[in-house]
Amino acid sequence: MTPDLRLAATQACDVTDGCITCGDVAVALTVLDVVGADARCRDELGREETVATELVGTVQAGDRVLVHAGVAIERLAAAATGG
Amino acid sequence: MKFVDEFRNPELAQVLSREIAQLCEPNRHYKIMEVCGGHTHTIYRYGVQDHLPENIELVHGPGCPVCVIPMGRVDDGIAIAERDNVILTCFGDMMRVPGGRGSFLEANARGTDIRMVYSPLDALRIARDNPDRQVVFYAIGFETTAPSTALTILRAEAEGIDNFSVFCNHVTIIPAIKAILDSPDLRLDAFIGPGHVSTVIGCRPYEWISRDFGLPLVCAGFEPLDLLQSVYMIMKQFTEGRAEVENQYSRVVSYDGNPVALKVLANVFALRPFFEWRGLGSIAHSALQVAPKFAKYDAELRFEIPGVRVADPKACQCGEVLKGVLKPWECKVFGTACTPETPIGTCMVSSEGACAAYYNFGQYAKQRLTLEVLS
Ligand code: SF4
Repeated sequence: MTPDLRLAATQACDVTDGCITCGDVAVALTVLDVVGADARCRDELGREETVATELVGTVQAGDRVLVHAGVAIERLAAAATGG
Repeated sequence: MKFVDEFRNPELAQVLSREIAQLCEPNRHYKIMEVCGGHTHTIYRYGVQDHLPENIELVHGPGCPVCVIPMGRVDDGIAIAERDNVILTCFGDMMRVPGGRGSFLEANARGTDIRMVYSPLDALRIARDNPDRQVVFYAIGFETTAPSTALTILRAEAEGIDNFSVFCNHVTIIPAIKAILDSPDLRLDAFIGPGHVSTVIGCRPYEWISRDFGLPLVCAGFEPLDLLQSVYMIMKQFTEGRAEVENQYSRVVSYDGNPVALKVLANVFALRPFFEWRGLGSIAHSALQVAPKFAKYDAELRFEIPGVRVADPKACQCGEVLKGVLKPWECKVFGTACTPETPIGTCMVSSEGACAAYYNFGQYAKQRLTLEVLS
């Protein structure tokens, strides 16, 4: 099964790494495919999550987006990284 | 992972660190505030301060979403969760924030159903799956997170999900910076501007800081080299006699922000006249509430909220830490009564809180990653 990014993020929530959402962390993901307003996306480690895309307009497979709390908040240039 | 190495390269760090040192006037002390808790985390985790000359001091700011939640709002959340049939949902770090009546985790031990979610959309899914329960999302966060809450309310409306509501604690960064600049406690020379908040709001909202206060502000990314480069850009402004808003994080942040997200925010939320920040007190127009036209999704209208103000514990000096007046280790209870396992104050809860970041990666560090180690 493909590792689930959302599950990993929730489980990683501890005193050292903390909750990524509380920490205003956003991650750079690549769109795999689009289902309505949602997109299945993957991170550099191959973990996947479903992301809401209404705030960045139409996306297609291969696009890179910056994701925070399950929502894409910005489009990224092809080579850009989040942090 | 090449994409990360590029921003943690130790040789580049040395070059930058040398150039920063050259730009420093030897007899001047520079205080640069990083507003965002994510930056504080990077600074301690990678020992960024060690790469700066002694007369450049990084001061930690109020930009940790969990840290600024006052105790009374935690108690309000527990009061909602204690109602019959309610599932309260919140982000992970929020579970451990101490209120006047303990944390959400402790409330669960007494029988409430408070669940951790990663996204407000997960809270909406819980509402969809439990049509006979009231599902409330305890929203916290700055402008990075507020759009996801707004979007979730729009989706709830579109899907006709009525058993969902939001207890809104979203705050806005600009009034907090203003409160710090207006406070007599601290003299600052420049700001490192938040990265992901600026993805949404852009860089324009900071221009008054340069214009009215004559201070440089550079929006920065979250890798150690991003921070070093931002300090370099600030020092360059000093030597050239400029005070401007610059964007170091242009690979992600556009100067005008994300107009769609801003529109959604303006549609779904309204500014509160006042909101109490932990440690900073009540700040005008510094927080969001659900706009009247979405009133049915406002948990503050759906449930009776006690809304009591609870004073911070006497020993707690989070306010001074949040304003950058005290360093974490200068708080009387730091590392003794207050630790990440038994937090007294909020700054010890989230890893972006200055106290937790310093506790985990500062002198107590078992796992601090230095740039040298990464080479
Ligand atoms: S050590 Fe604890 S009480 Fe003191 S400022 Fe930090 S979080 Fe607050």
